[in-house]
Amino acid sequence: MAIDMTQFYQVFFEESAEHLAAMESLLLDLDINHPDSEQLNAIFRAAHSIKGSAGTFGFNDLAETTHILENLLDRIRKQELELRADMVDAFLECGDRLREMLEGHQGRGTADPAAVDAICARLRQLSSGDAPAAAAHLAVPAHVAASVVLAAPAQPEGDEIAVRLPVADSGKRVYDIQFVPTQVSAKGEGVANLLDELRSMGVLDIVLQPSADDPSGFWELRLTTDVAKDVFSDQIDFVSDNGAWRIAEDTAVAVDGTTAFGFFDDSPGVPDSVRGYGFFEQLGGELAAAVSEAAAIDDSYGFFEPLPSELLAALEAVPMAEEGDGYGFFAPLPEVAEHSEVAATPTPPSGDGEEGDGFGFFAPLPPIVAEAPAIKLAPAVAAPLAAPVAAPVAAVAREPSALPARAAKPAVTAAAAASGDSSIRVSIEKVDQLINLVGELVITQAMLLQTAGQMQEQAPERLTVGLAQLERNTRDLQESVMSIRMMQISFVFSRFPRVVRDLSSKLGKQVELKTSGETTELDKSLIERITDPLTHLIRNSLDHGIELPEKRVAAGKSPVGTITLKAYHQGGNIVIEVGDDGAGLPRQKILDKAREKGLAVSDQMTDQEVFHLIFEAGFSTADEVTDVSGRGVGMDVVRRNIQAMGGRVEIDSMLGVGTRMTVRLPLTLAILDGMSVAVGDQTYILPLSYVIESVQPEPGDIKTLSNQGRVIQVRGEYLPVLVLTELFGIKSKWRNFTQGIMIVIDADGTKAALCVDALVGQHQVVIKSLEANYRRVMGVSGATIMGDGHVALILDVSAIAGMAKTMMQKAG
Amino acid sequence: MEAKTNASTAASDEDLVSSEYLTFTLGSEEYAIDILKVQEIRGYEQPTLIANAPPFIKGVINLRGIIVPIVDLRIKFKLGTVEYTPFTVVIILNVAGRVIGVVVDSVSDVISLNSNQIRQAPDFSGSFDTKYILGLATIDTRMMIVTDIERLMTSSDMELIDTASAD
Repeated sequence: MAIDMTQFYQVFFEESAEHLAAMESLLLDLDINHPDSEQLNAIFRAAHSIKGSAGTFGFNDLAETTHILENLLDRIRKQELELRADMVDAFLECGDRLREMLEGHQGRGTADPAAVDAICARLRQLSSGDAPAAAAHLAVPAHVAASVVLAAPAQPEGDEIAVRLPVADSGKRVYDIQFVPTQVSAKGEGVANLLDELRSMGVLDIVLQPSADDPSGFWELRLTTDVAKDVFSDQIDFVSDNGAWRIAEDTAVAVDGTTAFGFFDDSPGVPDSVRGYGFFEQLGGELAAAVSEAAAIDDSYGFFEPLPSELLAALEAVPMAEEGDGYGFFAPLPEVAEHSEVAATPTPPSGDGEEGDGFGFFAPLPPIVAEAPAIKLAPAVAAPLAAPVAAPVAAVAREPSALPARAAKPAVTAAAAASGDSSIRVSIEKVDQLINLVGELVITQAMLLQTAGQMQEQAPERLTVGLAQLERNTRDLQESVMSIRMMQISFVFSRFPRVVRDLSSKLGKQVELKTSGETTELDKSLIERITDPLTHLIRNSLDHGIELPEKRVAAGKSPVGTITLKAYHQGGNIVIEVGDDGAGLPRQKILDKAREKGLAVSDQMTDQEVFHLIFEAGFSTADEVTDVSGRGVGMDVVRRNIQAMGGRVEIDSMLGVGTRMTVRLPLTLAILDGMSVAVGDQTYILPLSYVIESVQPEPGDIKTLSNQGRVIQVRGEYLPVLVLTELFGIKSKWRNFTQGIMIVIDADGTKAALCVDALVGQHQVVIKSLEANYRRVMGVSGATIMGDGHVALILDVSAIAGMAKTMMQKAG
Repeated sequence: MEAKTNASTAASDEDLVSSEYLTFTLGSEEYAIDILKVQEIRGYEQPTLIANAPPFIKGVINLRGIIVPIVDLRIKFKLGTVEYTPFTVVIILNVAGRVIGVVVDSVSDVISLNSNQIRQAPDFSGSFDTKYILGLATIDTRMMIVTDIERLMTSSDMELIDTASAD
């Protein structure tokens, strides 16, 4: 039966685009001098996935190009080749070409075959040309070196760290074997037989074995043998539960059967005066507490992050030793995290009493059965740490000499990346339909509740209890459904490191991009539309804002410029700031240019007004047109795009200090905290963030200006009075508006007193567009549906405050 | 709601392709609109007022989570008596990708008309601009004004759409 593959194309395109994006961000994160094997693997996996599915769907050009990419990546991953900066550039370019090809297949644009050939040739050359050079760099696979010793030496104020180093020997090999036996083999003879078998092959150390009453726990063995690991791996697989085993071969150093315990100073192959700091991530809370306590007492450095209690900690130690400072990082194993099964593999102290050294081994483990319980983790590790003699708690990387020093960053990013992977694809229409249905449900529920309320005592208790339950459930449901459409702005921000990197190298500038508020959520449709304007703003900052390094140094600034990208919620808006510490906007130059262009300008214009001239079409202060900017198109487009979204842009700038562009976007579909106010027979929603206070005016409080504008004095300030009933032409229920209540609002610095009939309550409301079926209404930013099913309009406080301003100007 | 099918009006004998129209009354006049533009018919409910809107725009209602503006055609065309009773009818239209409700006196029929039955309307000046009239149709003694409801609703006269009402 022929399957129509085209129906899966869309999924393939989306997935591949995601893989490419992931690959790019990983590449940008990569520390070229000390690449993290896990990141390299992740990049390789992304390329491999694209290749695999491209092949399946018959996109051979994609498959071929990724194949070449994958070859090179594979060699780097296996450490046959050393990663270099030009490779990263080639990878990034290859990613771009792949994206073009993808778009080409989707019927949007075409990939330039010449460019594709060029990048393929470059990758091939990188892959083949450097092979001999790489041979010298045959380093140890990182995971082998990844066992970390958790040491708690007896010496109370010892700075020395006990480390266990295998002593070199030729011929024999050392295997670290870890496994969790099945229930059956643990209770029966399976494990015992295995141990006998292994003993017959060489010297077997039982590093860790589970307690007698729970034989199905975790085993760690250390086997020194001359037999290849294939010989015994099958047996281990046989007794182990569901692949819960691993054998790591220590190829860097073979030992003669004795492991050396010693201090750094006299340990071979380790840099002198290494200090060990232990960083523990995602440990069980109990343990973390115990450890940090111990750490605090002994002036050691321990960093512990709590783990959700139902999870076991999976710790992979990534060795780091850097010029005298050793950092041990425990990070979750990616494959473990992907399976949402996190496993803990603690070992009890194996140090002997005389030296008082307790050793805990945190070693990586493949997905382990959930039977390894959390409770086991805590006592096993906490015991040595809680001991009164617990000296500096330190995790020291066992550091094979061949392994390069590493940076600390990758462990953290790997953990972050691994967590968010599980998702499904649903079309937006389905989500919107769901949202509407849930909205209906909420209204129906509110109606029922109201009906039951009217019945008062006649309502059976079970009915009222049930309705209360229903109310809670529907609210929860509504909240969850609402969150589906929301996306973190990191989705947009994540593309900018690349933009900054490429552009700054092109312009010969040194720029650092700082982002904050990546977790700010906004609607998916906004996310899609904000990307282009933001890219323009960042390019603009890079090109016009940040100066060349020499100029910066001359101005007494750091040669490295900073572009900050910030997102946050403010007063019912989402604010995105693009700031730079560059030259600032030259007011005079802008004015001159504007005059040249024949725009109506005067020297009396405020800075804001002058700066806004840069948004005029065709306006550019660039002295020459480059391929980055200068045509004066970008900013015009930015403003139009943002206005189309119902947002606005503000510019703050100081000459020589920097510029900040602030984009304010309304929240669509976001939930708004609102205050409902009654005006006549209507209910309006006032965004709570604008409300400062409410006052009950005395008849004499309100003064008039030129018999037109009215003001009221609140806390020593004269505020314009806006009467909603007059603005909206509604009949108030009071004969005189002073009988109502004044709400002091603050919209972007403009304060006003808004007069309404009464305050009704405070709600979280869902913003609905009024423009979808109607048009924009002055003073109204949207609508919402109240609990009783009626529509309430949401007031646009900024616009209303603006009305107040014009009224005051007219009056005075 | 009150639409009843009148078998005698079905023009099944005609060779020409006929399409179905919904007829409603405004005062003494009878109008016909393409039934495919009609989403549903419902009773009138008190809408939420929109500030500073023209009087024929009654406000907005919540139609299963969608905010729908309500236009009272009786006020717009100065036809019939404007009163809101439990029997007042709102026709929910789906035109130009928008959902709009119109208040009419009553909905009378669903009829089939082919192009032969629709005659050109004479040029006249009335409250109703002739450019929205596709023609006049006669069934028995009734004359129906066949209206291009989509064009009417999206026109700047109705002040329902931003682009049209901008100037």
